[in-house]
Amino acid sequence: MSTRIPGVGHVVLLSAALMGLAGPALAHHSFSMFDNEHQTKIEGTVTKFEWTNPHVYIQLAVAEQGGAVRNYTVECANPGILNRVGWKFNVVKPGDKVKLVVAPLRDNPAGGGLLHEMVLPDGRVLNNGGFAGAATIHY
Amino acid sequence: MTRISRSLAAALACAALPALAFAAEKAAPKAAKAAKAAYPTGPGSLAGMWQSPYPPDQLRQPGDKPPPVEVGPPPLKEPWKGELAAQRKAAADALAAGKPQVNNGVRCIPGGFPGMMGPVFPLEVLETPQQINITNEAYNQTRRIYMNEKQVAIDDAEPVFFGHSVGHWQNGVLLVNTIGMKEQVRMSGAPHSPNMRVDERMRRTGPDTMEDQITITDPEYLTGPWTFTYHYQKMTGYKLGEFICENNRDYDPKTDSQKLDLSH
Repeated sequence: MSTRIPGVGHVVLLSAALMGLAGPALAHHSFSMFDNEHQTKIEGTVTKFEWTNPHVYIQLAVAEQGGAVRNYTVECANPGILNRVGWKFNVVKPGDKVKLVVAPLRDNPAGGGLLHEMVLPDGRVLNNGGFAGAATIHY
Repeated sequence: MTRISRSLAAALACAALPALAFAAEKAAPKAAKAAKAAYPTGPGSLAGMWQSPYPPDQLRQPGDKPPPVEVGPPPLKEPWKGELAAQRKAAADALAAGKPQVNNGVRCIPGGFPGMMGPVFPLEVLETPQQINITNEAYNQTRRIYMNEKQVAIDDAEPVFFGHSVGHWQNGVLLVNTIGMKEQVRMSGAPHSPNMRVDERMRRTGPDTMEDQITITDPEYLTGPWTFTYHYQKMTGYKLGEFICENNRDYDPKTDSQKLDLSH
């Protein structure tokens, strides 16, 4: 809510207003459990793509040093919003290698994050809609 | 008449409305005809898909103006005004601390009326002469407005999320009266009495625009009528999506808190 990202600060404020103040919460929840000030890049292989409400999720297998694989949860907007910003229910499938910009969970940055931008295997770049806000870093 | 043939009759009657309007226009003076030809008004004119003129689901670009604030603060009486201010401060503090409070939305409970008229997500309006249905894509919220019916007495209005709505057309404007919202349905967080009533004036304002002027009247809780207006832009080529809260991974019922479920 207090984060001012150049050019998109009002987006963060808008989300907060819509969720808490402007009316009965139509947006599902606040994104403040994610650390938007420290967006980070993460690459991995998709293991699950949950095209569901109230949110879409990507489960990612992330290779760690030493050969271990970490399960990472990526929260996305919902099917309605994502359809309107150019996604499709089958735009991602298990086995796809994707590159993401995420805001990590504050209390478990290695476990999951909120999507800001995704680079698909074919190079297309998708955003996560206005509620999540823009990526501040890019591939 | 069977249910299906009644629906068919309603649909046909609805389809015939533009023709009737056209016939009426033919008889009108030329100047009035030119003014009316710009966009439809009255029965049938609200049907279609609508969204905010500033769709908040789209990624905004650097330099985009922030959208105007459409809903002002509720004119609550004390002690509710102070109580709401304290609740908001607690919510803002929790948000700033990264421990956002849980609300109905987090629990996948819809906002109800009149908040559902806010076009955060697209709205679908279906009209027949007897009934107008409005569905907000968020949470599949549908309200039903029964045309030219008498409003029920407050004592007979079972409290529900979208209330009991009756409407009629007057000079091209849809006038709707709604009573009987559940206690937990709170516009901008404002509590209300069982006697709260909501009056709407819905009308087309241009070839691609519509508005809903909403007035909340509740003398027990409010210092005066609370009026605000939602604005809408026509959407073409969009069909409303469904929204079933089937996979709520953000709410932990054990602790009644927001917590992302990482177990999948």
